[in-house]
Amino acid sequence: MTTGEIRAEKKASAPSRRLHLAGNALRWKGATPWMLLAPALALIIVFTLGPTLVTLLASLSHISLIEKTWTFIGLENYREAINSEEVWQAARNTLIFSVLTIGPSVAIGLGLALLVDSFSRGRAVLRTLLFLPMTANLVAMSIVFSWIFAYRGGFANSLLAVFGVGPLNFLADASTALPTVAALEVWRASSFNMVIYLAGLTTIPLVVHEAAAVDGLRGWAKFRRVLWPLLGPSTVFVTVITVIGAFQVFDSISIMTDGGPLGATETVLYLVYRLGFRIFRFGYASALAFLLLAVTVLLGLARARVLARTELR
Amino acid sequence: MIGQLRLGFWVRVMTTAVAISVALFPFLWMLRTSVASVEEQRSLAISPLPASFDFGNYSAALQEGNLISAMLNGFIVCAAILAFQLITVVPAAFAFSVLRFRGRSVLFLTVLSALLIPVQMTAVPNFLMMNQIGLIDTRWALILPFATSAFGVFLIRQQMSTVPTALVDAARTDGLTTTQTLLRVHTPLAMPAIAAFSLFSFYVHWNDYLWPLLVTRSESLRTPPLALAIFQQVELGFEFGKLCAGAAIVTMPVLIAFLLAQRRFVEGMAGGEIVG
Repeated sequence: MTTGEIRAEKKASAPSRRLHLAGNALRWKGATPWMLLAPALALIIVFTLGPTLVTLLASLSHISLIEKTWTFIGLENYREAINSEEVWQAARNTLIFSVLTIGPSVAIGLGLALLVDSFSRGRAVLRTLLFLPMTANLVAMSIVFSWIFAYRGGFANSLLAVFGVGPLNFLADASTALPTVAALEVWRASSFNMVIYLAGLTTIPLVVHEAAAVDGLRGWAKFRRVLWPLLGPSTVFVTVITVIGAFQVFDSISIMTDGGPLGATETVLYLVYRLGFRIFRFGYASALAFLLLAVTVLLGLARARVLARTELR
Repeated sequence: MIGQLRLGFWVRVMTTAVAISVALFPFLWMLRTSVASVEEQRSLAISPLPASFDFGNYSAALQEGNLISAMLNGFIVCAAILAFQLITVVPAAFAFSVLRFRGRSVLFLTVLSALLIPVQMTAVPNFLMMNQIGLIDTRWALILPFATSAFGVFLIRQQMSTVPTALVDAARTDGLTTTQTLLRVHTPLAMPAIAAFSLFSFYVHWNDYLWPLLVTRSESLRTPPLALAIFQQVELGFEFGKLCAGAAIVTMPVLIAFLLAQRRFVEGMAGGEIVG
């Protein structure tokens, strides 16, 4: 998307540039653009791009907060990370969490979008109601989910008791803790994915629906052969967004489990937080952060490539 | 045939009803718990409405949970962040969309590259920077790192690019300076994008939990989610009535913003997710 965007921009601006140059070119030269850009650019460099480079440098160093010293130690932090059982467990948890989140939230989001779209009336109201999970505060909802899945008096266990099952200690049991945190993420992400799919559905021209009707395509056949391919870009988009979201999950883990029990819900980002801000191993934490950043950026670029390709087609 | 259609219709209605119940259930459960008595909260007999309404948990959450000052602080921090962002973002968006100058593409790529970097990644170095310049546990630490937004530049520039060149030329013929063109022509025309971005900014910074957790110590600097999280630790997670009241209070402002300006809200969020 990045390069596509720039290219489209250039093409669109070519005639207007000529106009400007033909007209009063001097006015647009000189210091004006720089003065307008300077505050934003300076802040982006100081607080986003600079720190990213600092993370890279920090990952190659040993940092002491008390003595305020940085000692260059090469790839030592990365070597330690790769050999650490803790890191591998966090990576596994992150991967499991992503898998638990992506499939359900993309499928539910798509299902809801098709469902809402199938009504001729009341779509706006349905969309509003189904989007509410996304507007909720994550700390607040983590508390509410902790309560719903509480061992004693929790709604989930009351419900299970009706079927003679349980009670389960959802958040304190290593086998159920991660899926329970993932449930909150699925609840939220589904509502966001629905909105994106709904937007995707509205871009499908009426002609396509008419053509499908002429060809006698209805129901499942129409979905599989017409809608699903046309929704391709939306699917790529929601999938990558959900993965990136899963990689960055922090609030719910902090509130619901604090990474426990016994590290069963500790994701890579949560490990970065714990190593950096509880044990103050900033160098080591930076190495992990940089590895996570690398994967996230690669995903972002992969999405950009796929989107650019589908747009060109 | 008609019978089949009817059946299909009712199946869809039922499925929708279930979906809405699941989407709204945590909200309703939160509200129910916040007003129900402790005995009723724990009773296994589930009724949709509690037998009695008790709003004592709300005053408890506001006072014991320190939520009054947290909400106030949250509004101050969000307003300050947004003010800084608009002051820096709108001129930059204007420069990128209207002005032609050397190095424009390179600079725009610089801004775009910042979009690929999630906030959490810069937490460690930004924390070290704040520590170095002695801003830890000040309101500046909550505001300064977010004083501009690459996403804002991107979103607002997009809309400003749609302003016809003829209008720009007309403005110049009328003798408007560049700054006047920015303020009187492009800013009003980009208002929908500015509104969408403002809602997005409020959503993100009202809900931010990680950064305030890292850089504040004093009670007076806590933001709403942080105060709520600390309230939960103090209550040891037992007083769910009070906690749910607190959760409802913290959730309310963003929920209201969404209901008042749904379209712009979703635009801001979707745009944010599209590029970030």
